Amino acid sequence: MITITINGKDIILDEPMTILKAADVAGIKIPTLCHHELLEPYGGCRLCVVEVERMPKLQNACTLMAADGMVIRTESEVISKVRQDMLELLLINHPLDCPYCDKAGECELQDLVSKYGPTVGRYREEKRKVPESHEDRVFVRNMERCILCTRCVRMCSDVQGAGAISVVGRGGRSRIEPFSPTSFNCEYCGNCLTVCPVGAILSRPHLHSLRAWQIDREVETICPYCGVGCSFVVQVRDESIKRVIPRFGLGLNNGLLCSRGRFGYEFRECAERLTKPLIRIAPKNSQKSEVRSQKSNPPIPPLLKGGEGGLSEIFREASWTEALDIIAEKLKDIRDKYGGDAVAGIASPRCTNEDNYVFQKFMRIVCQTNNIDSISRLGFAPAERYFEDLLGQGITANTITGLKNSDAILILGGDPIAINPILGLSIRAGARSGAKVAVIGNTKGLAQMIQDKTLQIIPPLFKEAEVLESLLLEIFKVKGLRGERPAMDRMVGKLLEKPLKTEAQGLDELKDVLLKAGSISIIVGMDIVQRVNGHRALFAIAALTYLLEARLYLLSEKPNEQGLIDMGCLPDVLPGGRPLGIGDFRRRFENAWKGIIPEKDGLTLMEIIEMARNKKIKALYIMGENPLFNLPKGSYIKDALRSLDFLVVQDIFLTETAELADVVLPAMSWAEKDGTYTNLERRIQLLRKAVNRASGMEDWRIISEISGRMGYRMDYRSAQDIMEEIARLSPLYRDLSYDEIEKGDCLWPYKGEPLRGVISEIPFVVEGVHEYKGELYLAPEKVLFHSGTISRRSSALRKICPEPILKIGVHHAERLGLKEGDYVSVSTTEGSINVLVSIEETIKDNKVLLSNNFEGRGVLSLLNYSIDPITKAPAIEGMEVTIKRLKLQ
Amino acid sequence: MERVLLKNIENPNSADINEYLKIGGYKSLSKAFALQPKDIIEEIKKSGLRGRGGAGFPTGMKWSFADADPRSPKYLICNADEGEPGTFKDRILLERNPHLLIEGIVISGYALGAQEGFIYLRGEYPHAKDVLSRAIKQAYKNNYLGDNILGKGVRFHITVYQGAGAYICGEETALIESLEGKRGQPRSKPPFPVNVGAWGMPTIVNNVETLSNVPYIIDVGGEVYSRIGSKDCPGPKLYCVSGCVERPGVYELPMGTSLREIIYKHAGGIKGGRGLKAVFPGGISTPVLPGDKIDCPMDFVSMPKFDSMLGSGAVIVMDESVCMVKVALRSLRFFEHESCGKCVPCREGVEWLRKIVERIEYGKGREGDIELLSQVAETISGRTFCPLGDGAACMVLAMIKHFRYEFEEHIKNR
Repeated sequence: MITITINGKDIILDEPMTILKAADVAGIKIPTLCHHELLEPYGGCRLCVVEVERMPKLQNACTLMAADGMVIRTESEVISKVRQDMLELLLINHPLDCPYCDKAGECELQDLVSKYGPTVGRYREEKRKVPESHEDRVFVRNMERCILCTRCVRMCSDVQGAGAISVVGRGGRSRIEPFSPTSFNCEYCGNCLTVCPVGAILSRPHLHSLRAWQIDREVETICPYCGVGCSFVVQVRDESIKRVIPRFGLGLNNGLLCSRGRFGYEFRECAERLTKPLIRIAPKNSQKSEVRSQKSNPPIPPLLKGGEGGLSEIFREASWTEALDIIAEKLKDIRDKYGGDAVAGIASPRCTNEDNYVFQKFMRIVCQTNNIDSISRLGFAPAERYFEDLLGQGITANTITGLKNSDAILILGGDPIAINPILGLSIRAGARSGAKVAVIGNTKGLAQMIQDKTLQIIPPLFKEAEVLESLLLEIFKVKGLRGERPAMDRMVGKLLEKPLKTEAQGLDELKDVLLKAGSISIIVGMDIVQRVNGHRALFAIAALTYLLEARLYLLSEKPNEQGLIDMGCLPDVLPGGRPLGIGDFRRRFENAWKGIIPEKDGLTLMEIIEMARNKKIKALYIMGENPLFNLPKGSYIKDALRSLDFLVVQDIFLTETAELADVVLPAMSWAEKDGTYTNLERRIQLLRKAVNRASGMEDWRIISEISGRMGYRMDYRSAQDIMEEIARLSPLYRDLSYDEIEKGDCLWPYKGEPLRGVISEIPFVVEGVHEYKGELYLAPEKVLFHSGTISRRSSALRKICPEPILKIGVHHAERLGLKEGDYVSVSTTEGSINVLVSIEETIKDNKVLLSNNFEGRGVLSLLNYSIDPITKAPAIEGMEVTIKRLKLQ
Repeated sequence: MERVLLKNIENPNSADINEYLKIGGYKSLSKAFALQPKDIIEEIKKSGLRGRGGAGFPTGMKWSFADADPRSPKYLICNADEGEPGTFKDRILLERNPHLLIEGIVISGYALGAQEGFIYLRGEYPHAKDVLSRAIKQAYKNNYLGDNILGKGVRFHITVYQGAGAYICGEETALIESLEGKRGQPRSKPPFPVNVGAWGMPTIVNNVETLSNVPYIIDVGGEVYSRIGSKDCPGPKLYCVSGCVERPGVYELPMGTSLREIIYKHAGGIKGGRGLKAVFPGGISTPVLPGDKIDCPMDFVSMPKFDSMLGSGAVIVMDESVCMVKVALRSLRFFEHESCGKCVPCREGVEWLRKIVERIEYGKGREGDIELLSQVAETISGRTFCPLGDGAACMVLAMIKHFRYEFEEHIKNR
């Protein structure tokens, strides 16, 4: 209990805090400039000075801790003079660019000067000139405006943890410079831009576009990119998103963003957006279908213009009525003739919960099929199912902000900084406060956070399961069985009779760290699932989670993988995670939906593809997904899709998959409709419509229209209606409403009833041990600046990362005679593509990494796969690759 | 007064350990190990020793704060950044009497419970680095440093850490930042380094000269020591005299010796017999004194009563041929160059001051410049994050106070 007096008012503080915070508690405003709520106090601007009795000099309110009995004055003639003087001093070198500077209207210096500053300056000398030093593609820097508050530097090093910029020089010659010699070469999170109080750092996409007061509307919404689900504000003018800005105190990201969320919003307005339904006129197997070719730098496909070659020879524009009628008729035909089993649907983790709910309802009740799955099959869905079957529903529902309080954090299967950046920031924050960070595999984003270098364990190629079982064995030797879940104990015991073992440097140290740590978090990326031994790795992780009482997190590249699962877009699960196989659950939904749900479990994604190839599946409805590009072995996928009698694709762009469709429907995208997403913490959040779009329809509305034409009316007027139905029916989303969700704390199990199932016995399929003795293997990489295929349509993100880059380790680069920036051909048995190469010193094994974001040059097209019998995920390991340097043109 | 700090200084090999041992060196170390650390701190308190870096803080009090903090490891840092212009007293100790310093450091470390010490040496003293390194090696060899000093189970190690040319790193918190490998910028106080110092641990930062006094205090006891020099500010003091004098150099005299005596008796008076115009009593950060105001005891407690400060005891003597505006300009250039840039008033204000004085010096002065100088200096003074800005502002204000006519001359007659 600390009692102080501020401006004559007595305040009682229940915890230690600075005078600045105490004044805030008392409702007294003290001006600041270098201070920021997310950063440690600096004390450089001198604006927050206050008078403290019995202390001779004026004191900094932002750094001085309030002590019991202090008597403080925040306003006086002296203090006013100081504020005026400090602002005058700032203005002697700050260029009065207001009419020209983008920041005017939202500039903190401007606001302070108008409130506390002098009206006339006394400076009559030459102003400091600062040469512009860096041309960056995304940031506009004007160091003459910089007032050296160092908020950007402190944000980058203390919060973001990237340490990309620093103050160089001294005194009046201080400048803020990036460490790289050319442009910023940083993570482009834009958090420095967020905290800059003046126009020293500005956004190039937004430059000179409009004034802060010219916005038509500001809408709070959720990011469309990854599974974190950051909140930010979208600023709209003339039905166009002009800028995305974060807001401190808003959302779980609390004002921090990543490059994708910050700068990736332009995809929505890309000229290539579909506007009208398209109906195929050219036969599927004709040559004309090959619009895309293997050029070295393929452009985004040309707009569909009447009469101009290319796409207009394959599709014709049609009215909604015509297109929807055709779809309804065709689906009805195929369903009646061949049964529901001949129909399948692929849902989308970029679509909202409402979209996905309606989709699976349509598939089940109207198309009479349970063949529903999504790209989540490649990792998130089977991993979560596996863990939940063993450890209970909700085992992965852990908060991102809580992550930083762990004593030890183990990461495997992916780089959190690239996939879920804000989650990665929580790891960095944890590392700074003493958490031990360990990584099994490669990591770039966290390389500096692993203080003890031995805690980066490089498994023998693709043998994460072996490493995990070796670790499990050592942990088990010390801890023994836990006793809480007998079935789990039994399975662990059985596994450890004959574990896969391997040697890896650092395992001993990791074991010690984990045994000593109080709270442990394990973060799992989807690379682990995409292994021949994928399910074994999952079991080992589950066992470690169990024995160590750890918290489990699944990385997710897409914004709504969890929601998709919650909505039942799986072949064997109904909304709320209720298994289809249990009659009671099925009947409950049949009663509510007034229809029949087929009894048999449906096919998973890769099985659907296979059955399409075998012509067992004749009709496929794809909503918001691009399987031709996003699945391995593209040639096979293409064959499969071509073998279909009828393919409908509902999307926002004419994707590689859409080009093979019989009917293409233009959907509304993010920011054009309301809806909800459920993030990887299992938190439901509300997306709001921010712009009015003249063309396209909401995904759920399109499905409803088709459903109606097939005899099953779905009378939803809005997304909110759909959520109301979900809230009535899904045992997990019980009683939720948009109002509830808006309040921001809808964490699992929401208000609902978690599934308390019996642990299933999961059989171990002992695969033959694969030895990889080749020289070089190709593996996918999830990069920071891109996500899926929508980011490639965002010009700012393309500026940061304009093309796919093959990452190769130092040793192999030397062996192959490669230099940074060389062009190489990357060849496997599946094909060959040409890309730029970059030498990545954090790659320590015989792998080269390539992303899957750029048209015609995605890594998945070069990979083959086999199916893991337990998870049904495609295993993409062991693809040997040949890299050859290309001569420059 | 018998020399304490500069004993044996005429010996060209005074830096060698054998010469140091010959004159009784390292005896105080043995004596100290027979005492309890708390007793040593008491002796230092009794001695009345004040920090010789310029601030004059009672050393015993500083040590007792560290002693009261239970955390460890504790660090002892010797501030050898001697950056105040005109100051070269530490240099002579480092280059000619390094073992006195080493002995002082080890005794202090023992008293404070620190086992690791750093000598933060300014980058501009390469010769001192060589001498120190050799001396430290010798000390290790003779078991005055290491894991088992004198076989008494006391552990202490010294590392010499070089700065890279920043006056600001003489400020203790900026010094610690630099030592930690970061940008040399001062930290907020509180918390003070004595509680949160290097790497967050309790840290004592003491000047070279301060630590060099410690062996003598242990030798004769705090009481005897306190009888040297002034009552409130005892002990021997090194005064370095430079400028327009016959015999510039370092003089070891009792604290409180009058400035007049230092200049005229010891340093031989003004060179060429000219008249004394002005004196900086303790480096350029201390307010300048006009030639007729030098009857002041040079110690920490008395000087403020005479409108100045003791500072580092660097006496810079200027005769009637010196242009005070030029002196002000050179001083401001120094402060501007050395400002770290963290706080607005120092970074922007000092440069402004320099620009005005520069114009005046080069004949481009304007009417109202002197008032403007005073106003800007008042704006800076007391508002800065650390005393560097204060030093610049005070310098200007004192110049105007005593030599306003020179500034007016420059402006009027260009």
